[in-house]
Amino acid sequence: MEWDWEFTWNRVLPAMLEALPVTIQATVFSFVLAVVVGLPLMLLRKSSIRLVSVVVGEFIEFVRGTPLLVQIFFLFFVLPEFGITLPPLLTGILAIGLYNAALCSEVFRAGFDAVPKGQWEAATALNLSPRRTLTAIIIPQSLPPIVPALGNYLIVIFKETPLLSFVAVAEIMHVAKGIGVETYRFTEAITIAGILFLILSLIAAALVGIVERYVIRKVYH
Amino acid sequence: MAPKITFDNVTKRYGDLTVLDGLNLEIEEGEVVSIIGPSGSGKTTVLRVLMTLEGIQEGVISLDGEPFTHVRKGDGFVPAKPAHIRKLRTKIGMVFQSFNLFPHMTTLQNCIEAPVQSLGLRKDEAVERARELLGMVGMAEKEDHYPSQLSGGQQQRVAIARALAMRPEILLFDEPTSALDPEMVGEVLSVIRTLAAEHSYTMLLVTHQMGFAREVSDRILFFESGKFVEQGHPDTFFSNPQHSRTKEFLAKVLEAN
Repeated sequence: MEWDWEFTWNRVLPAMLEALPVTIQATVFSFVLAVVVGLPLMLLRKSSIRLVSVVVGEFIEFVRGTPLLVQIFFLFFVLPEFGITLPPLLTGILAIGLYNAALCSEVFRAGFDAVPKGQWEAATALNLSPRRTLTAIIIPQSLPPIVPALGNYLIVIFKETPLLSFVAVAEIMHVAKGIGVETYRFTEAITIAGILFLILSLIAAALVGIVERYVIRKVYH
Repeated sequence: MAPKITFDNVTKRYGDLTVLDGLNLEIEEGEVVSIIGPSGSGKTTVLRVLMTLEGIQEGVISLDGEPFTHVRKGDGFVPAKPAHIRKLRTKIGMVFQSFNLFPHMTTLQNCIEAPVQSLGLRKDEAVERARELLGMVGMAEKEDHYPSQLSGGQQQRVAIARALAMRPEILLFDEPTSALDPEMVGEVLSVIRTLAAEHSYTMLLVTHQMGFAREVSDRILFFESGKFVEQGHPDTFFSNPQHSRTKEFLAKVLEAN
């Protein structure tokens, strides 16, 4: 099979670039959801109320222990049975976001545990409120180990977005498959999809590196 | 007048291990008390439960006669709510063996964080107070330095200024010189000496510096196996200990010195 440059330029690339914002949206919103839900999940899991920590712990284990694709299908096909019908993209963001929230909660836990106990004790001795202790003392110090790990999850999430093609979200992979099915030419579409993912991954990794260096400079001087 | 600090039958256990065993202790306002004793005897725990870093299983700790760890209910006591503890805890400041400065804040930021956030001082008031205290501990020049840029002795002096910035009435020192290189012990002890001599703080020190304890304290407590074995005025305590365990301990540490 010959590589068709004209087909690539005129048909594949424009369609891919049109799908790109969907992939980026899915990535960014899923990542934000993962972080925003992951932090409280970790705090709840550390709760001194046993029922709360056990229930949250089980939820995390359940989410971590089942394939993401199963969870996407579950939200997409099973929720409507209970009268909850969500648009495909939103379903996908929810599934990827919650799945990674469970994983990110472990990242937050590791970051928190890395802050010496003496820091909590100094905050108590200075009578800081629990809230101020978290936001001004503990969280800033837990960032250096957390940021690179979260950056890694950002890229992982980005690479998980093709799973959304299974529920017909028009992201890059879905469009690539569509072109293939339509024209019987898969090579160009799949290759371009791969290259686009590679380029964006590299850009994301570079951005994460910049944020990482910034945080380390800010916290360690 | 009620004692500044009262431990009433306080028991602290870690699992099966009893660290404080029905402890009774009264400390008067302005008194400087040193707690000495072998490692693992629980002397640090006395400070830690007073600072509420750890809970107690039995008994009540009171400040100025007011129950602190607990509140009265009917004839007995129930554990106090966090709000009650936070209200009374402002009376106590603590200096740790490992300094525990906030590494992401400068010297000055370390000293104004809590006064602004938990006492509600205006920032300029807090800065003024912090500078005064940093001057007192000889750290005025280093207000823009981060803890990692300071020596151990300097960090501990900043930690003392940070504790003082909260205007506590009670100061707890948990082996304040144990983590320091020998040549830095003196500078920290001289700050504590000044506090003991020239200010009215009620002070509770856990220390291995016998000479220092003898010099600054109004009273020495010898602690072993979760209990006070012997206590007394430093002059009589060191020259004429009564209990055989005290004699043994003092013989050992004084020989080592």
